[in-house]
Amino acid sequence: MSQIELKNINKSFDGKTILNNISLKVEEGERISLLGPSGCGKTTTLKIIAGLLKNDKGQLLIGDKDVSKVPVEKRGAVIVFQDYLLFPHMTVAENIGFGLKMAKKNKNIIKEKVDELLKLVKLEGLGDRYPDELSGGQKQRVAIARALAVDPKVLLLDEPFSNLDTGLRDEMREFISNLQRKLNITTILVTHDKEEALMISDRIAVMLNGEIKQIDEPSEIYKHPKSIEVANFLGNRNYIKGNIKEGKFETEIGLFNIDNREQKEVIAMINPEDIYLDNSSNEGLEGTITEVRYAGDRIYYKIKIKNKQIRVISNSDKVYRLNEKIFIHMDFNNGVFF
Amino acid sequence: MIKDKIKPYILLLPIMTIIFGIFASGLIMGFMQSLGRFEAIGMTEFTLRYYKEVLIDKGFLSSFGFSFYISIVSSVIAVVVGVILAYLLLINKHKKGIEEIIYRIPIIVPHTVASLLVFNILAQSGVLPRILNFLGIINEQSQFPALVFDKNGWGIIFSYIWKEIPFIAMVVYTVLKNINDKLRDVALNLGSDKKQVFFHILLPLMMPSIISSFIIVFAFSFGAFEAPYLLGPTSPKALPVKAFIEYNNPDLTNRPYAMVINMILTFFSVMFILIYYKVFNLINRYSR
Repeated sequence: MSQIELKNINKSFDGKTILNNISLKVEEGERISLLGPSGCGKTTTLKIIAGLLKNDKGQLLIGDKDVSKVPVEKRGAVIVFQDYLLFPHMTVAENIGFGLKMAKKNKNIIKEKVDELLKLVKLEGLGDRYPDELSGGQKQRVAIARALAVDPKVLLLDEPFSNLDTGLRDEMREFISNLQRKLNITTILVTHDKEEALMISDRIAVMLNGEIKQIDEPSEIYKHPKSIEVANFLGNRNYIKGNIKEGKFETEIGLFNIDNREQKEVIAMINPEDIYLDNSSNEGLEGTITEVRYAGDRIYYKIKIKNKQIRVISNSDKVYRLNEKIFIHMDFNNGVFF
Repeated sequence: MIKDKIKPYILLLPIMTIIFGIFASGLIMGFMQSLGRFEAIGMTEFTLRYYKEVLIDKGFLSSFGFSFYISIVSSVIAVVVGVILAYLLLINKHKKGIEEIIYRIPIIVPHTVASLLVFNILAQSGVLPRILNFLGIINEQSQFPALVFDKNGWGIIFSYIWKEIPFIAMVVYTVLKNINDKLRDVALNLGSDKKQVFFHILLPLMMPSIISSFIIVFAFSFGAFEAPYLLGPTSPKALPVKAFIEYNNPDLTNRPYAMVINMILTFFSVMFILIYYKVFNLINRYSR
C-alpha cells in the first residue's frame, strides 16, 4: 500500500490533447474515484498510472519514488479491467496465480496464496473452472483476486461494475468496498456513473475534457460544485440567473430573501430535491405542472413558472397531476452561486 | 417441432445423395476390394491376406516411412516459419503494406504448378544451378546438389513448404489479430515480460489454430499425389504414388493391394479429422 501522486501529467494522441495537467494525490489506503463522461481521459489516466501508456509530461510518484520511467511489469499498480479479461485458456486458479508464476514463485507458495484469495473472494471450490464456466460476478471476483495476488501497491479499477446487472452491481459494490477497507489498499476507481462514485468513494475527482475540475468528498462535490460544468455532470439541476441586492435575490421568476451577500449578478444553482411543492395554501411561487414522472420512491416534476421550467424531485406520497396549479418553495440560502 | 428438426435434413438431401452416392460408394467399393472381394474379375471371397501382405511388405513400409518423413518435415518447417511470419505481420500491422497480400499468393497456385516451379528452379538443369554456374560459384551444373528426385525428398519438401507457409501464416495471423490486445496488457500489468507474454498468453491461445493447421497440411502432404509423383525419387515412392502404380497394374488381381494402401491412407485421414474436431472445440472455448 502506498500513496500515489500525479503531478502535471499531460498526454496527447496524434496531436490531440487527452490529458491536460492532471494533478492528483491519493493517500495511502484511500479510495478515490475518477468520475467523468466517456472520452474524458479517465482510462488513459489509469493506464498511465499502471505504466501501460507513457505520459508526455509530468511526474508520477508511488510512495516517494518517481515511477514515470519504471516499466509496467515492475510498477506495482494493477488494473482490473472493465471486461475482466481473464485468460481463457487458464483455470480460475491459474488465472489468480498467473502473476506469481511469472515472478517465478515456488509452486506451494502460489497454491497457498491462490487458496487464500479464493476464500477471500468467496470462490472456494471453483479453482478448476474455466472463465467461460463463470457468471459475470464470479469473473469479476477472479479478476480482483488475480490483481490482489501480486500484492499491488495501488489497485486500479476500470469501470468495474458497468458490465453487471443492477442486483449484482449493488452486491459487487458492497463486496469491493468491504474488501478495500479490509485490505486497506490504495484504490483508484474509474467510472462514469455518478451514483456509483458518490456511494463508493472517499473522495471524487471529476474529470471533464482531459482536466480534473474538482477533487472533493462526495457530499461536497454534490452539494457545492465549483463550476456549472461539474454541477451539470452530477445531475439535472436548476440554474436561475439574477442579481443579489441588499439581502434580496432578484430573478426572472420572482424575488427571494437571501442572507447578506456580495452585491452582484449571479447564476444560482438549486437542487430539484431542495424545492418543495404545496397546494394547501397560496404561499410561494405559483406554477403549472408540465411533466410528471413516477419512479416509485420519488416523483420527478417539471413546473413552469413564468417562462422558466423548474425541476423538482419529490419524496412525498402525494402525486400531483399534469397541468395542476401548484405553489413551490425554494430557499436560495441552500443554493450555490456561480 | 419434429417438422422443424427434419427440415434441414430434407433440404440437404439432394447434395448429400450426390456426396454419399459418389464418395461413400467409392469408399465402400474400395474397402470391399481391399478385403479381396472384386466380383468383376471373379474374386468373391473376403480375406485379410492383402492387409497382412501389405503391412509386412518392405516396399510398403519404406513408402509409408518416406511419406511420413516428407509430411512431418515439411509441416514442421511450415508451422515454425508460418507462425514467425504471422507474428511479424502482427507486430508490423500498423504499417499497412502490400506484404499482407503478397505472402498469400502461393496459396492459390496449384500443387502441380508449384512442383514444376521447384523443378525449373532447383533441378540440376534448373535456373538456380545455371545462375550459380554463370556467376562462377559452381564450375558445372552437376555440382549443384540433387534436390529433385532425391532420396531425401527435398524437392517435394520445398514444394510443400512454399505453399504451406503462407497457409499457416494466414490461419495463425487471423487468430493472432483476434486475440484481445488487452490480454497482453493484463499480462504485462501482472508482471510478465514480453517473452513470458508470448509463451504464456499468445502461444497457448494460438496453439489450437497451429495444431489444426498443422493437421491440415500434414494430412494433405501425407495423402497428396502430384508433388511426390513429379519430384520424388524412384525409390522409395510416397504412399499415394505407390497406390497409383499398384492401381495401374494391368494385372487386375493386384487391385486389392492398391485398395489396402488407399484404406490405410483413408484411416489416417479419418484420424486427422477426429483430432482436428477435438482441437476445433478448443478453439471455440478460447474464443468465448
